[in-house]
Amino acid sequence: MRIHVTRTGGFAGLSRHAEVDTSGRADAPQWHALADRALADGRGTPPKGVPDGFQYTITVDDDRTVYCADPHLTDEQRQLVSRVLGEGA
Amino acid sequence: MTANVFPTAAPAVFCSIVPPHILDRVARADDTVLAERARRTLEHDARLRTARATTAGPGTRTAAPAPSPEGTDKPQQRTIYDAHHGNGLPGTKVRGEGGDAVDDIPVNRAYTGLGATFELYLRAYQRYSIDGAGLPMNASVHYAQEYNNAFWNGEQMVFGDGDGRLFNDFTIALDVIGHELTHGVTQYTANLDYNGQSGALNESLSDVFGSLVKQYAKGQSARQADWLIGEGLFTSRVSGVALRSMKAPGTAYDDDQLGKDPQPADMDHYVHTDRDNGGVHINSGIPNHAFYLVAEALGGNAWERAGQIWYDTLTGGQLARDAQFTDFAKATVRAARARYGEGAELDGVLKAWSQVGVATK
Repeated sequence: MRIHVTRTGGFAGLSRHAEVDTSGRADAPQWHALADRALADGRGTPPKGVPDGFQYTITVDDDRTVYCADPHLTDEQRQLVSRVLGEGA
Repeated sequence: MTANVFPTAAPAVFCSIVPPHILDRVARADDTVLAERARRTLEHDARLRTARATTAGPGTRTAAPAPSPEGTDKPQQRTIYDAHHGNGLPGTKVRGEGGDAVDDIPVNRAYTGLGATFELYLRAYQRYSIDGAGLPMNASVHYAQEYNNAFWNGEQMVFGDGDGRLFNDFTIALDVIGHELTHGVTQYTANLDYNGQSGALNESLSDVFGSLVKQYAKGQSARQADWLIGEGLFTSRVSGVALRSMKAPGTAYDDDQLGKDPQPADMDHYVHTDRDNGGVHINSGIPNHAFYLVAEALGGNAWERAGQIWYDTLTGGQLARDAQFTDFAKATVRAARARYGEGAELDGVLKAWSQVGVATK
């Protein structure tokens, strides 16, 4: 499973994206479970968000894409984007 | 924390460049342990500095002078909360209006910054708080973990501590506090849609009044001001002086990890993008620079005539929610003429928009 996260917006207006390929990883099952939960609560279209808030796009295997925006991320979404981007969320 | 779920320190991350500007390779798997150790050290140092500063007594550094006691018929009501590095808002109350400074510098900086913003709006524009009717001002600090952002959630301000690698604590810059509260003012007035050109205007108004909060607090004239947004937010590892420059958009930073400041200064360099709500933090450079040019042409204190024209435009009820740059420019021309007649102010506004390539006719 390839999990791709893009983050745009924010006060600084700096975009980031990163991808994790779980194949061959010992912790792949945990990643898959987390990604499934994060996607289940995502939206099919970008939410409006708030001024200066981060906006996130999560794509799995170039196939399933969901959107979410601060400050209304579920715990699983926050955990996933934070781990993929390697930065606090 | 769920660190045990993922025993490896960090995922194998491919960070690639997102044009036109990016954070690239911020967290590499191979140096994560070192980075984490460095981060903890930085945080520890920050705690020590905090302790030293607070034990040093009333000389604790704050971003602005305390609000003056006059005007007590229009009291302000500030409350600062600690989110304790979680995502719940607002968190627990740590300092209320009139309360003593606490042993946590971001709390005190937020408190002082709210006061400085309240003062500018009240003294310069006779506006009583964010909604013009004395709305209590609330802010939460220590939001989330290693959080490189500050935002306005429609009701309050929210500040992250930064990750210590690229960004410092977001309460460091007074203009950031003024910026976020001005999102509230805009919400209660022109309520500009947060995308495309109206979104860039929304952002620009926050930069303009955020900068004016800083200039007013420091007593700086237009020529003395640095016109930077977010000075001090970058750590020393970043090659850059601030996040944005109103005086010279596109020159605030040029860094291996962050890329180059992408802001244009005129319509010839307008950036068309889907990201960031259509580049609201990028194309804001154009109206930002127009405001700078007006202030620079008029001289004196920027919050007086230039700021008054922009304030009249924001609050005058003439702007549609989806106003474009040219709509806004025309509204500033009307506002300048209405308040100052035919003169240097109107001339300065017309020339500024002409210089950045936005039509006023």
